[in-house]
Amino acid sequence: MSADASDLSLVRRVQRGDKGAFDALVLKYQHKLVKLVMRYVRNPAEAEDIAQEAFIKAYRALPQFRGDSAFYTWLYRIAINTAKNAVVSRDRSPIEYDLDRHSDESYDMQGRMKDPETPEGLVLTDEIRSTVNAAIDALPEDLRTAIVLRELEGLSYEEIATAMDCPVGTVRSRIFRAREAIDKRLREVFEGGLGRAEELG
Amino acid sequence: MNEELDSQLSAMFDDELPTEECELLARRLSRDEALKARWGRYAVVGAVIRAERGVRLNAPLAGRVNAAISAEPTLGAAAAAVRSAAHTGVRWWQPLAGAAMAAGVAAASVLWLRAQAPAVPLLSAQRAASTVAVPLLKASTGLMDPSYVTPRAPAVRPMLVPSTQLANYVVAHSMVSSPVAGRNLLSAFISSESPPPAPEDVRVNVAGNAK
Repeated sequence: MSADASDLSLVRRVQRGDKGAFDALVLKYQHKLVKLVMRYVRNPAEAEDIAQEAFIKAYRALPQFRGDSAFYTWLYRIAINTAKNAVVSRDRSPIEYDLDRHSDESYDMQGRMKDPETPEGLVLTDEIRSTVNAAIDALPEDLRTAIVLRELEGLSYEEIATAMDCPVGTVRSRIFRAREAIDKRLREVFEGGLGRAEELG
Repeated sequence: MNEELDSQLSAMFDDELPTEECELLARRLSRDEALKARWGRYAVVGAVIRAERGVRLNAPLAGRVNAAISAEPTLGAAAAAVRSAAHTGVRWWQPLAGAAMAAGVAAASVLWLRAQAPAVPLLSAQRAASTVAVPLLKASTGLMDPSYVTPRAPAVRPMLVPSTQLANYVVAHSMVSSPVAGRNLLSAFISSESPPPAPEDVRVNVAGNAK
């Protein structure tokens, strides 16, 4: 098993002309990229525009990607450069937005004031968030610990196995079962396909 | 849906699936919309756990990128063009490399032949020395037949001069075979030697065998 093998296998498919594989990469990294771009622009809609531009730039540059670095590292650099260029072209100073300085409540209020999204869209985002949180709360302790260590702490299966004192296969199974339990609830909200939000809103 | 497949998808999402399985699953993932939707929901779960505030979880970003990419040219063709250009780039210097190799071999051959050139007079000198040595030997011991001179195998260039036994065999064979064949063999033997032996030596040898 090699690190980044999953992304690399998708990247290779895109390089051979499979556009569907790029869709999978976008689905995987869209939230991370928007969050990254939001260090430079506060408006989520603007951040999405920049993230979209970064993804398209990445797609066009993909024939030159040789896999020397991880795909996300490469994509990260493209997104940062795109965000900086966007900020410069709009004659603004980049804003280092430190999320830790704001409480969730104040940030939500700030975001809502600037976000041109429809009230239905905001409600849907909140619904997704509350559904996932409720599903996580309902998980058995071992499943919840495994998924949180993976997603929040970014630990590998081997590191989680050490932390939880169990075999790696058990970790894989626990994370999968946790995801399945959450996904079962989430599917009801997302029926119709993720990321095609116009259908949902 | 197949539970094993979903388990693999979860492991692949975490970069914890073996490479070979990733290749197979990536192929399926790129084509199977239901699997792709599940993959996308796994990303949403991660975003919620990481509390990525301000990020719209139902954003139309993926759909917009998908639409934009659909209008883009397929990368396979572009990659093939890049590969072709790279291949063409390799081709232009291939004849030059071949010519350079041929020139190198030729130069090495010339240098080698030049290095061997001083050996020719040395060989002649050795032969002369051997023929001079024979009467001296005869005079001192009286054991050798004066009509037969065995050419001494030269110390240098052993690859170019046949062995003494081979020379004797060829000469003897030429005497018992038909005159035409004998001439052919003899002439072939003589021409194969480099440098050609002194005519006196051959005559003496033939005369010696005839006796």
